[in-house]
Amino acid sequence: MTELILQALYSGLLQGGSYALIALGLALVFGTMKVINLAHGELVLLAAYVAYAVESGLGLGPMFAIPIALVLVCIAALLVCFVISRIQRDREINSLILTYGIGVILTNLILLVWHADVRSTNSTWLQEAFVVGPFYSMRSELIFFGVSIALMMALWWWLSRSWYGRAVRAVASNRDAAKLMGIDPGRTELVSFIVAGMLAAFAGVALYSYGVIQPAYGGALTVKAFIITVLAGIGSIPGVLFGAVLLGVAEALTVTLASSALQELAGMTLFLLVLFVMPNGLFGAAQRRG
Amino acid sequence: MSRKPRGQLKFNSTLVALLVAGYGVVPFALGANNYIMSMVVAALVIGGVALSWALLGNLGGMISFGHSAFFGVGAYVSALATVKLGVPVFAGLALGGVGAVLASIVMLPVLRLRGPYFALAILAYAHIFRILATEWRSVTGGAGGVAGIPAFPSMLGFDFGTKMGAYLIALTLVLGFAFVYARIRASYFGLALRAMHDSEDATRMVGVNSTMLKAAMLMLSAFMAGVFGAVNAHYINFLEPDYAFNALWVTLPIVAAIFGGYRTISGPVIGALVVYLADQLVFKAVMPTGHQLVLGVLLVVMIVFSPSGLMPSLKPLLKKRTAPHART
Amino acid sequence: MMKTRFKRCALAALVSAALIAIAGGTARADDIKVGAQLPLTGALARVGTGMQEGIMVAAEVFNKTNGKHTIKIITIDDESAPAKAIAAVEKLASDGVVAITGGYGSNNISPASDAANKLGLVYITSGGVDNSLVNAGRKNFFRINNSAGYQKAMLGLLGDVGARSVSIVYSTKDATANLARDVDQTLTAKGVKVTLHAFDPAITDFKPIINKIKLQDKPEVIAMVGYENDYVGILRAARVLKPAVKAMVGVWSLATPKMAADFADLMPNVYGTALLPFPAEFKSADGKAFADAYKALYKKAPDYLGQFGYVQSMLLFEAIARAADTGTLKKGGVAEEMRKTDRETVIGRVQFSANGDNLNFVHRMGQHQDKKIVIVWPKETATGKLVYPATPW
Repeated sequence: MTELILQALYSGLLQGGSYALIALGLALVFGTMKVINLAHGELVLLAAYVAYAVESGLGLGPMFAIPIALVLVCIAALLVCFVISRIQRDREINSLILTYGIGVILTNLILLVWHADVRSTNSTWLQEAFVVGPFYSMRSELIFFGVSIALMMALWWWLSRSWYGRAVRAVASNRDAAKLMGIDPGRTELVSFIVAGMLAAFAGVALYSYGVIQPAYGGALTVKAFIITVLAGIGSIPGVLFGAVLLGVAEALTVTLASSALQELAGMTLFLLVLFVMPNGLFGAAQRRG
Repeated sequence: MSRKPRGQLKFNSTLVALLVAGYGVVPFALGANNYIMSMVVAALVIGGVALSWALLGNLGGMISFGHSAFFGVGAYVSALATVKLGVPVFAGLALGGVGAVLASIVMLPVLRLRGPYFALAILAYAHIFRILATEWRSVTGGAGGVAGIPAFPSMLGFDFGTKMGAYLIALTLVLGFAFVYARIRASYFGLALRAMHDSEDATRMVGVNSTMLKAAMLMLSAFMAGVFGAVNAHYINFLEPDYAFNALWVTLPIVAAIFGGYRTISGPVIGALVVYLADQLVFKAVMPTGHQLVLGVLLVVMIVFSPSGLMPSLKPLLKKRTAPHART
Repeated sequence: MMKTRFKRCALAALVSAALIAIAGGTARADDIKVGAQLPLTGALARVGTGMQEGIMVAAEVFNKTNGKHTIKIITIDDESAPAKAIAAVEKLASDGVVAITGGYGSNNISPASDAANKLGLVYITSGGVDNSLVNAGRKNFFRINNSAGYQKAMLGLLGDVGARSVSIVYSTKDATANLARDVDQTLTAKGVKVTLHAFDPAITDFKPIINKIKLQDKPEVIAMVGYENDYVGILRAARVLKPAVKAMVGVWSLATPKMAADFADLMPNVYGTALLPFPAEFKSADGKAFADAYKALYKKAPDYLGQFGYVQSMLLFEAIARAADTGTLKKGGVAEEMRKTDRETVIGRVQFSANGDNLNFVHRMGQHQDKKIVIVWPKETATGKLVYPATPW
């Protein structure tokens, strides 16, 4: 039994790292612009399909797809940001519906271009097992867990040290004051969207490497990312990692101890629990609710 | 600020024309064409859900991304009641609505959440209900669903089990709910709710119990969506978890309401008819795969160019102009 | 204002386009129209497209070989949704089709065949294996495969290799869950130790489940009942954890050329249901005509979906031709002629019972060997040796 639980914790940890990568982009944009990009999951999926196109077209492993995915997804993210900026009023609510529509467009575009088949990486090397003591995992899972941690540290450094990063935090906490300080909120929001796009690109390539993709998955990814963002609370990057790992471990434990048919239930219940008990998230700054 | 009470029932020419068209012209002009009638009935069901969604948004001030929860619960309650307990179908519809209301009561703690949190919390509930429907096999029949759901019975000599019958029932329910919506909006409660929109703190100070009102709107919206879920179940005669709680019951009503204008009463329903029929009859023919893409484009275009929807822009053509909206 | 005028024009354009679309298309007068109601979008898009390929090939082959009659297929996408499936059937009926071929998933076939029944149209499918479909009293419903056929194949293989303990991993979707439970019942009755593990279709990481099986159940065989994405996940997890089992056995969508090509590392020695080996060798004239026409139309080798779509449609067209010859096309003749069907096809002998089921249907088990698929059960149709015990790692 202990072996089972240990493996479940390990699997949950790795899965959580990947979830965190998916959620980071959404959390960043939400923190900066107070906008929930419901098309975020589709951006991740787009990157995953780019990785597929590269692997099947050029025969190169998913790692080589990262540059191309970065470019394409950032362009898409720019477009989304541009359309959002055209909203005249009630940005919080209207952006929800707007990005929902963009998500529908992206999902159907992906379906049109790449059809409904299930896809995943062919690479033998990535699928090989990597065993450490009683802990089993696929190489791709471990590699992208590392990538995820590295990116998170890079993001954290960027937000605290670089000029644009600090501008993003300034705009997030007080838009008008930031304007007074000479920061262009519009430009800053664009930057945060591009960074979110970059994160989505990595997340998508990772997804293609360790999991299977289908055009319909975009929505589910967005939901997971949002759950984690809520768990983390606004404005906390380490919170995203913690929330994601919490979700991954909760799911793995549910499967091991109860039934694997209830895995999705675990995520949803956790989400609602946190909403009721700690509406600011586990690490979030206190904010007025209700 | 003084405003003309909007939504008061004016027996003007537009309303009469609509009623005549709905009950008189359409059945005779399109009645023989089963395919078109199928589309119209489906569009009316979507319109009903769109109406309930808009009600929650307008009067309750809450945007929801999980109305499929109410729709599905209503469908299941009615289906199970009629199949397993032998309840008559029309009573089943009401029970479906009640079931959805109970589901909304479970959601009450979520009311204090703001905007996007509420929207997605409702979505989480929809997922949970779907999983419950799949797992609770002894009651709901599990993933296989419920088959052989009875159709509408004959009443007053007219067999409502036909396409025409379903159309008349859906139409009547839509009009009925629209009427209720209009009355509430024009009443004291409507005023209080609109005031709450502008400033919740101020209304609380004046003694309006905003939480109670919001809860009441949630329950009403749930009831409406639940009844339409039940109508759909008895019309299709088959139900299963993925269908009952499908994301389309979220997307289509939202697109319909936004397109038609979710601040108006007729908007969501007209939006549903136009969008659904255009999607099935035009877009699908032009682009057999991925035609739902157009729905997405519609949403985006509407939000950017005309968040109040199409209806408010067309109104000047149909009626004389009303006083301009004081809110920005 | 410009915006208002734009909207007015847009609305007018929409309405006119709708009216034009309603006016509908045209067909030659002596064509016999047959409707195809299929999921081309939505969750079942992949299987619907596969089935459509088979149907179109059947029309092509039939029109070439039957001198007298020409079949024209009208396809309508049911978007994997029951309401749209009903609407599709009704539209096809109003377009003047004499029968309907297609449909996938009991959830969509049930209401659609009801609608077809009410309109007096024959409905034939290969996408609904659930027992409830033939027990609902529909007079015009026919199908060429059923759940029992899949079970017989899986049970036959397990029996032949003498597995004494089996762990069944299955998706909670309807068809998979029912198959899993039926197999469980039969195996338990024979004294085989069975453990069941249900999983939510959304699961992607199967390591926790496989680990449970590896450490607690310790079976001889792992049986997988799910869909393509599930198989990939399960096999990946198994390759990582390497449970001490003797075989990995699946059902539909597993022993396919696509899986062999796309996931070559996961497939070696894995078993799944398969009608034909790959590369396909068609021995009968019918089979060869099918393979050639398929290659000509789609530039690839046929898969099981195409095979099923082909067989169900060919049998339908032949019955229609017979009914047309005796002049009973509009008077229920098609259904009568369908019931008289009795012939060998690429899926074996097909006959229809009183409730429309093809009771002869027994699937075959294939095994991935060296990037090819070899039929290994039943022995009469085997094209190669059964390799056991054998796993992908």
